[in-house]
Amino acid sequence: MARRADVSSKGSQDLHGSGSSRNRLCGSCQENGKSNGVAHSWSKRESFEQAPMYVAVLTYLGFGIVTLFGYFRDFLRAVGLEKCHLAQERDEQKDFVPLYQDFENFYTRNLYMRVRDNWNRPICSLPGPEFDLMERVSDDYNWTFRLTGRTIHNVINMGSYNYLGFAENNEKFLQPVANATKEYGIGVCSTRQEMGNLDIHQELEELVASFLGAESAMTFGMGFATNSMNIPALVSRGCLILSDELNHTSLILGARLSGATIRVFKHNNMQSLEKLLKEAIMGGQPRTHRPWRKILIVVEGIYSMEGSIVRLPEIVALKKKYKAYLYLDEAHSIGAVGATGRGVTQLFGLDPSDVDVLMGTFTKSFGAAGGYIAGKKELVDYLRAHSHSAAYATAMSPPVARQIIRAMKCIMGLDGLTVGIQRVRQLAENTRYFRRRLQELGFIIYGSQDSPVVPLLLYMPGKVGAFSRAMLERKIGVVVVGFPATPITEARARFCVSSAHTRDMLDKVLCSLDELGDYLGLKFSRRKCTQFELDS
Amino acid sequence: MTLSAAWKQLSWFYYQYLLVTALYMLEPWERTVFNSLLISVAGMAVYTGYVFMPQHIMAILHYFEVLQ
Repeated sequence: MARRADVSSKGSQDLHGSGSSRNRLCGSCQENGKSNGVAHSWSKRESFEQAPMYVAVLTYLGFGIVTLFGYFRDFLRAVGLEKCHLAQERDEQKDFVPLYQDFENFYTRNLYMRVRDNWNRPICSLPGPEFDLMERVSDDYNWTFRLTGRTIHNVINMGSYNYLGFAENNEKFLQPVANATKEYGIGVCSTRQEMGNLDIHQELEELVASFLGAESAMTFGMGFATNSMNIPALVSRGCLILSDELNHTSLILGARLSGATIRVFKHNNMQSLEKLLKEAIMGGQPRTHRPWRKILIVVEGIYSMEGSIVRLPEIVALKKKYKAYLYLDEAHSIGAVGATGRGVTQLFGLDPSDVDVLMGTFTKSFGAAGGYIAGKKELVDYLRAHSHSAAYATAMSPPVARQIIRAMKCIMGLDGLTVGIQRVRQLAENTRYFRRRLQELGFIIYGSQDSPVVPLLLYMPGKVGAFSRAMLERKIGVVVVGFPATPITEARARFCVSSAHTRDMLDKVLCSLDELGDYLGLKFSRRKCTQFELDS
Repeated sequence: MTLSAAWKQLSWFYYQYLLVTALYMLEPWERTVFNSLLISVAGMAVYTGYVFMPQHIMAILHYFEVLQ
């Protein structure tokens, strides 16, 4: 990989925590005028291009028309001219407080149902780079489905979180997992604190700690529960949580359950964060003005809906200046970024001990299930005793733990092969290639150049359904996301690049995207070709 | 320029119209309702223009004293 001397200015030199530039990939000279308060050359590698104004107007027009028809259909259902397929109150309850009139139910009945066939498609094989789908048709406009019995084979999978290709059923690689099943069975039948603390958990936690460069780690059976059950153990009333605008639901749920005060800063915006920190330190708690017991900054490594990478050096500098704690959720970035797959701390060349709580999941890059929290030994020992997940949730299943152990050893190279590091490099190459080609074709892509999550903006509600169906006809499975998960005008298709994708598969996808982009009219980008360098 | 190429181009424009106005998501009878409403409103506008344009143009020309 090409490495250049860091030619960014002195201002950004001050912001870098431990000043190590060993693993950092530097861009060329920095630009002026970034409005996020960031002087780092990394900001050049992100792009969130805005579409022309007519696109927003047409999107609102489309939503307006469908909403009007939604009201019309609701009227027909109320009058009785049309059968209502969804839940309704009983006749005796019609005078009670209405249950199904809020916006969410309206949206589900009248917009989501019309294009529902693009989600929850039944899969009948391994979710590898190619998979098989069961063919499913609807006779009454998506109210009910029936399976025709046919299987669609070898559909290219651009939606599964399979970044390093560990969703595989190669017998040789899975032998340890089979042995673990034969030895331990599948169920643990207890919580970690009671009888569920197996030696395989111990081994896994030591391995996770050494992988991340932390002192100690603890693993949990479910990634979502790791966030939602452990944040309440770390903060409580009287503490302040500063959470990014686009944080995942598990972080928001954990923050709300804890009872701490939550303040939201603009996505990846360091000026907004600093302003909140200053106000918090100066003002203290809301009415009593006592100092906050703890200030916890909660961010993610890669935000999966935007594809953007957190500005970690700036956040670490801010946290040191204002004496706050940092909770980093590396669900999508562990294993997927960094020169050897160690996550965003390695990507920016920072010391992992700068981050107080390192959290991540094993679902995405390790082909298993579960989550971990790593950090100082006192922190992890405290969590072993006080976490809700340790006390009440079943411990991780042994075959799953063995899969994580073998995947981690593969990435670290401890099994004596170079398969792991090859996969990490292949993922980086695939990501760069895919993103560069998409930008050349003229699509609007969000996010950083290193993120394997690629959101492609579709904007209009009609195109969302048409895109997903047309891609399935071409035997490519994509995930499209619409309103509740994204802002209403920014519906998108989200591609997850995997190291198991070959160049041919990516080329086939790009070719189909090119055709569909012209046929559906999706090439909104007004930028000239590529601004970013390509190493390979 | 054969007739089939022109037909293909027209049907692509109709497809774009369906996608942009989100009629693509609606059932066929809803599309018919919307299209008839649109065509009737547009037809009424054209008819009104046809009936009243000459009078309006004469009045404007009178006002600017181009015509006496």
